[in-house]
Parts: sequence; C-alpha cells; structure tokens
Amino acid sequence: MSDAAGGSRIFLRKASGLIRTASGTDTYIYNTGLVSIGLGVASIMLYGPAFYPGGDLVWACMLAGVMMALIAFGLITWTVTLPRSGGIYVFGSRSMFPVLALTLSLVEITAWLFYCAIAAYWMVYLGLSPTLTFIGYLSGDQAWVDAGAWVVSPWPMFLIGSGILILSGIILSSGMRFYLMVQKWVFAVAVLGSIMLIAVLLPYSNADFVASFNALMGPILSVEDPYREIISSGREAGWAWDGQTDWTQTWLVSNWPFLPLVGAAFSIAIGGEIKSVEKSQKWGMLGAVATATIVWMITIALCTDRFGYEFLGTAAFNFLGGTGVQVDPTITLLAGVLTGSPLICILVSLGFICWMWMWIPGMHTFGVRAIVAWSFDRIAPEAWGKISPTRHTPMVAIWTCIAVTVVFMALFVFTAFFSAIVILIEAAVLAWSIVLGAGIFFPYTRPEIYEKSPIAGRKVLGLPLMTVACTLGFFAAQFYFWTLFFDPTAAGHDPQQLMIVAGVFVIGIVFYLVMKQIRKSQGIDVSLAFKEIPIE
Amino acid sequence: MFWKKKKKAQGEKLTIFFASDLHGSAICFKKFVSGAKFYGADVLIMGGDLTGKAVVPIAEQSDGSFKSAQSGDEITLKSQDELDEFIKRVNNQGFYPAVMSETEFQAIKDDTPAQEKLFKKLVVERVREWADYAEDKLSGTDIPLITSPGNDDFFEIDEVLHKASHIQYHEDEVTELRGYEILHCGGSTKTPWDTEREYTEEQYEARFAKILPQVKDMSRCIFNVHVPPHGTIIDQCPKLDENLQVVFEMGNPVHLHAGCKALYTAIEQHQPILSIHGHIHEGRGNIKIGNTTCINPGSVYPEGLLQGALVTLQGGEVTGVQLTQG
Repeated sequence: MSDAAGGSRIFLRKASGLIRTASGTDTYIYNTGLVSIGLGVASIMLYGPAFYPGGDLVWACMLAGVMMALIAFGLITWTVTLPRSGGIYVFGSRSMFPVLALTLSLVEITAWLFYCAIAAYWMVYLGLSPTLTFIGYLSGDQAWVDAGAWVVSPWPMFLIGSGILILSGIILSSGMRFYLMVQKWVFAVAVLGSIMLIAVLLPYSNADFVASFNALMGPILSVEDPYREIISSGREAGWAWDGQTDWTQTWLVSNWPFLPLVGAAFSIAIGGEIKSVEKSQKWGMLGAVATATIVWMITIALCTDRFGYEFLGTAAFNFLGGTGVQVDPTITLLAGVLTGSPLICILVSLGFICWMWMWIPGMHTFGVRAIVAWSFDRIAPEAWGKISPTRHTPMVAIWTCIAVTVVFMALFVFTAFFSAIVILIEAAVLAWSIVLGAGIFFPYTRPEIYEKSPIAGRKVLGLPLMTVACTLGFFAAQFYFWTLFFDPTAAGHDPQQLMIVAGVFVIGIVFYLVMKQIRKSQGIDVSLAFKEIPIE
Repeated sequence: MFWKKKKKAQGEKLTIFFASDLHGSAICFKKFVSGAKFYGADVLIMGGDLTGKAVVPIAEQSDGSFKSAQSGDEITLKSQDELDEFIKRVNNQGFYPAVMSETEFQAIKDDTPAQEKLFKKLVVERVREWADYAEDKLSGTDIPLITSPGNDDFFEIDEVLHKASHIQYHEDEVTELRGYEILHCGGSTKTPWDTEREYTEEQYEARFAKILPQVKDMSRCIFNVHVPPHGTIIDQCPKLDENLQVVFEMGNPVHLHAGCKALYTAIEQHQPILSIHGHIHEGRGNIKIGNTTCINPGSVYPEGLLQGALVTLQGGEVTGVQLTQG
C-alpha cells in the first residue's frame, strides 16, 4: 500500500495489471517510418514537375500536411476513445453495421497491401536501378548501366520485388522484437540518408549542377549541352510551362505528398499497445505529419533550386514517356551527379531504399493485425488468428499477407491493366472518411462508450471534441478523395478501375455474409463480438 | 480450418461465458452478469481478481466543495451533480471512492495501516454489493455464477463470497457442472508486486498433486486456473525491473512468460477438455496444448469494456470459442 505520494490524492496498492509498452517516441518513430519520407521525396520529384507543370511542390506539401493533420486529429479522438489495436475495423465495428466495418477494413487492407507491393517495386525502380546506372556512368562500365536497366525489366523486377516482400515476411515471422530492432536500425540509416541529401545540396548552386551534369552526361549522351537538350526536347514532346505558379496543378500535385502522409496515422493499428494514449497518439501522429512536411519542404525547395524545375519536369517527362533525350531523373542519381561521388550516390540511395523498406513490413503488420482481429471476432477463419507456439507470431496471417502482396507484385509487373491501377488509394481514403463521418455522431449514438473516453468532457463551441475533430477529418478526407478522383495521374476515375474498387467492396460484403452463415451453422453469432453488453 | 466438415458433436450443449480480472470495475461486473442473457450462456465463470487497485479519497472542503484526483491531477468538484458523476466514473474504473472530510484525509494520507484498513473495508463492501447484484439479477434463473480467487484478491472477500446465495466460490477443489467437472485453482506464481495469493512452482505442483486425483473423467474436465500456462502466448507480458518499470533492450520492451510451468505440465499430461485463465491482461488469446483448448480473454477493465470468452461444449468437445469485447 502506497501513501498519497507526491501530494497525490489517491491511495494505490501494489497489484498486477495491464502494461502498455509503446511510448510517444515509439509511436512517433512507427508513424514517421510509415510516412516514408524518402519515398515521398522521390515520388514528388519524379511525378510532380513532369505531370503537374506549374504546380508549386512546396505549397502542395504544406496543403497535404495541413489536411493530413486534420484527418489525424479525427483519428486521434477515435483511438483515444477506443484504444484498441486493429485500426478502422475497431472504430467501424463499434459505430456501424458489422458488415460495413469488415468491408471498410478489407478495402483499406487491400489498398495498403497493394501499395506495399508498389513500395517493393519502387525500391528497385527508384533505389537500386539508379544506383547501378550511376555507378556505370561514373566508371564508364556499360555493364553497370545495363544492370540498372535489367533490374527494372519484368522478371528481374518481379523476383527482386518478391524477394523483398518475402524478406519482410521472414522478419515479421521472427517476432515483433526482432522486427522493431530491424526497423530502428533501418530508420537510423534512412534519416542519415535524408540529412546527407540536404547537406549535399546545400553548398552547391544550379550552375554547379549544370556544369557537373554536362561534364558527366555530355560524352555519354553524345550531346554538347545535355541539360538544355533535355529541356528543349521535353518541351518539343509536349511538356509545357509558362514559368508561373499554377494553383490548380498545385492542388492536384498535393496528392503525391498526401499518399505517403497517410502513414502518419497508422498507429491506430497499435492503439492497444500505446501507453498514455492521448499524449502519445497526438505526439506520434501530428509529430510525424509535421516532420515529414517540413523535411519535404526543405528538400524539395533545395532540389528545385539546385536541379531546376524545368529540368526536373522535362527529364522525368522524357524518361517516363520515352520521348526526347532520356536520363534517369531520380533525385539520388542527380545528387550523385552534382557531387561526382559514387559514395554519396550510394549512401543517399541507401537512405531512400531504407525509407521505402520502412513501408513494407509496416504495411504487412497493418494487414496482419486487422485479419487477426477479424479472426478473433470469428468473421475470418481461425487459422488466421493462430499464434505460433514457438515464435509467438501469427504465422498464417503474416504469410497470407505476404502471398497477397506477391500476387499484387506479379499483377503490377506483368499486366498492363494492373500496372495502371492507382485508384485503390481513393478507396482507402473513402473508407477513412466514412469512419470519420461515423465519428461525428459517435458521442450521440454511443454515449455509453463515449462518456468513458478521456476527452468526453471536452467541448468546442458546445459540441463534443470528437464531433468537431471528426467533422474536420471527414472534410479533409473527402477533400483528398475528390482530389484523387479528378487526378488521372495519381488515381482518377477510370470506369474499369472504379469497377475494381467496387469489386473489393462486394468481396467484403460477400465474405462477411458467408462467414456469418458458416458461424451460424456452428452455433456462433458473429454480430455478438461487436456489441456492447447492455446492462439490465 | 473453418471449411473442414466436422463430425457433429452429440449431447447437451453447454455455453459458458468466462471473464476475468475485473479489478473492482462496477460496470464490467454488471456487464458480466448481463452477459448471461445477452450471449445466451448457461453458466458464468469469473476467473478471479475481483478486487481493485486504488482508493480515491474525495475530501470535503470548508466551502462545501470536494477535492480529489483524476489522471494524476488534483480536481475540485463544486456541485452534488459533479460529485455523483465523479463517484460513478471512479466506480466504473475499478477504483473505490471514499468521501471524507479534509481533516480525515490529512490524517490518513501518511498512515499506511489506516489506508490498508480502509482499502479492505471498501473492497469487501464492493464484493458484497456485487454478490447482491448477482442475486438480484440471476435468482430465479438456473444460471450459476462460479468464481475462484485471483492473486490480487484479499482473503477478506472469501467469507462474503462463500455466504453469497447465488455465487459458487471454490478454491483447490473439483466441482461438478452439468456433466462436466471444474478444477478450481486460484492465485498466481510470484509477481513483482508481491500480491496477496502467490505460490511458488513447487507449491503449485503440490496443489495439483492434491486436486488432480479428485477429477473422475479428465475428458470432461475444465481447468479454471487463474494463472495461465507458462511459455505460451497467453502468459506473455513485459518484463519489469525492481522499480516496476518496463525493461527495454535496444529500445524495445523485453517480454517474459509469467505463467505457471506446473500447470503447463498438468495440461500437457492430463489433457482436460478446456482450460480457462486470466491474470495476464495483455495475454488475450486462444491456444491449444495438445487437444486442450486454453483461453485467456485478457482484460481492459479501466476502459469499461468487458473482454470475455464464449465457449460452447457439446458431447465432451469444445465446439465453439468466441472472444468477446462488449
């Protein structure tokens, strides 16, 4: 029995109980890793100037950061009110029909696992290939350049990508402790890579880059001024920009920073393991959004200034469209060109590769936790919830997720149709917005749960804090749903792709109804797992 | 696998709703009792650790307001409504509100024996209230409420529970339930908190040696043992140092198994049909040791959510297990 220590007005006894282990810092690292700052820089710089000419990338990052902060604000109120692991499935299952909760969860998991496969693709495409190519340029050895091109051809891409995904499965199967240890080392290298990129860019000017680029690439491309040639050939091929900021393009290009920023809220998947949940989730989510946004704004401003917006746009336009004078415009490669150092190219690339890696087991974990939760609620086969007695990990769930991502990898690499599918992110954002929409009414529809929330007493303009936060989050999520909808480069609304999204929703509904019937035949009512027990 | 066609179990169906480690949470206990009707259970089994962990003094001030603590901060309650609402919230969190004068609070705040006396008095009162509540809600039904002690339970509650008309309280014995036998064994192995009912592995071996021979048919026996079996996913928890802080290595929390080795051996050797546990709140799960289904529903009582397990037995088989959270 303790006394009223420290002036506290509570008498505690020594007793056993639940111990939550993840701190605010752990949550921040988890989310920041899943934002994948390096992937954000690489994709924004590759697709931004090329397909959104005139779009201000720095303002786009700012817009995405503010909107994601609003979404995070809404999700924080959800996870504080229901501090359980399982992501939107937990929130949905407490606020809407079970079939809808499962369907939204399935849609979300499908999207994240698809992007997990894409991350493995990008590790090769934006990390490994440019590094090999640059070593070839510097050494004059064509074999390296050929190797850089070979790794992005379909079969090598599929095999290397699948190997990366399987490596993630092996690490996750070894247990959370090993996974977290690996992630912390990878995170450290990734952060160093980003710092190195900024440090490398700082002392140079655009003139330095033009001189270095022309000196290195001139003989390779057999062109006297390759920097100008790339720009002029890109303009001839159709890339157009009048030198003014285009705010419509700025709005649309913000899709690219928004896509990785969704990782900043992924700690909703581990809500049950986080101590001081309100403080930790606030710090973890909003800190990750702020960090990523600030690092992107600095890095992008530096890249745009040093390499030149027009050059970045035309180089990527030519490279991705197969037009004009073609040079791999990946930022890591350009940083290597600027310094003329293969070591710097390799180290910066390694940092980028590490950022992209952070996504992969993180996304797998997100999927694994959700399907284990489904299994616990008996709406998925028991096998998915089985924990290995030796490794203490849900092996079946892990390898199911790995298998799904390998299939996605194959579809992405080998089929023209699936390689164009980027619309699933829209479906995931829509799922989030529905859950945030449910959160607006949650304090009124489930007062018996909400009144136990630590934020229950807080009001804004006379409304419950959760209502206000989820309203803001709902509109921010809707904003990006429609932004993605009207942007054919990032997502769009191709009817065939929309059919795939609708198909995932239908699969979720059918899956739930089939499982419900199977469980009913076993004497189990799956809907009971979701319901609050009424006190009579 | 769920699609595998199973031979249909024959015989009378028995549905058990099991929960554990409510630690004084009034709302969770009420949900537990209501769970019988809600889930259609034939029997309620509570795995122990009924008693809570904190007394929250609410000290009346000279101006008529009340001072207390919430989430580590001192708070002032100015109206009767605020006081009533606060008391309700404290009860639901599993704590024990104690309204007293500021003078009484000052007298007791550094007096450990007086605090302990107050604690035990409030714990016994809460258990008595729960026994009355169970009697009120379950009398007239044929749904028994069976329980045994956890490691945190004061010995003072034994008398109240033994006398309760609608609660069957058992320890170190085997009882019968509609064609099944239940082996009751409370307490836990040693913990960092040095709680009320802790036993060494040797003591557990001795207890099992005494109780196991009482089981007539192990294929229809349920182990109701507060501590989970050692070395499984349902007994895993963070390791604590001598200051009761989580131990980290390489920035990661170190986990250990806090279950009972003697129990694991007993399950492995004797293969009861079912083994139900609590104690490790983080250890929510459902595993198999040989053919025995072992369940720990876990506990998140401070949030007012009741985690439980709905288990269906038929013809001497476990035909359904569903972890619940309601």
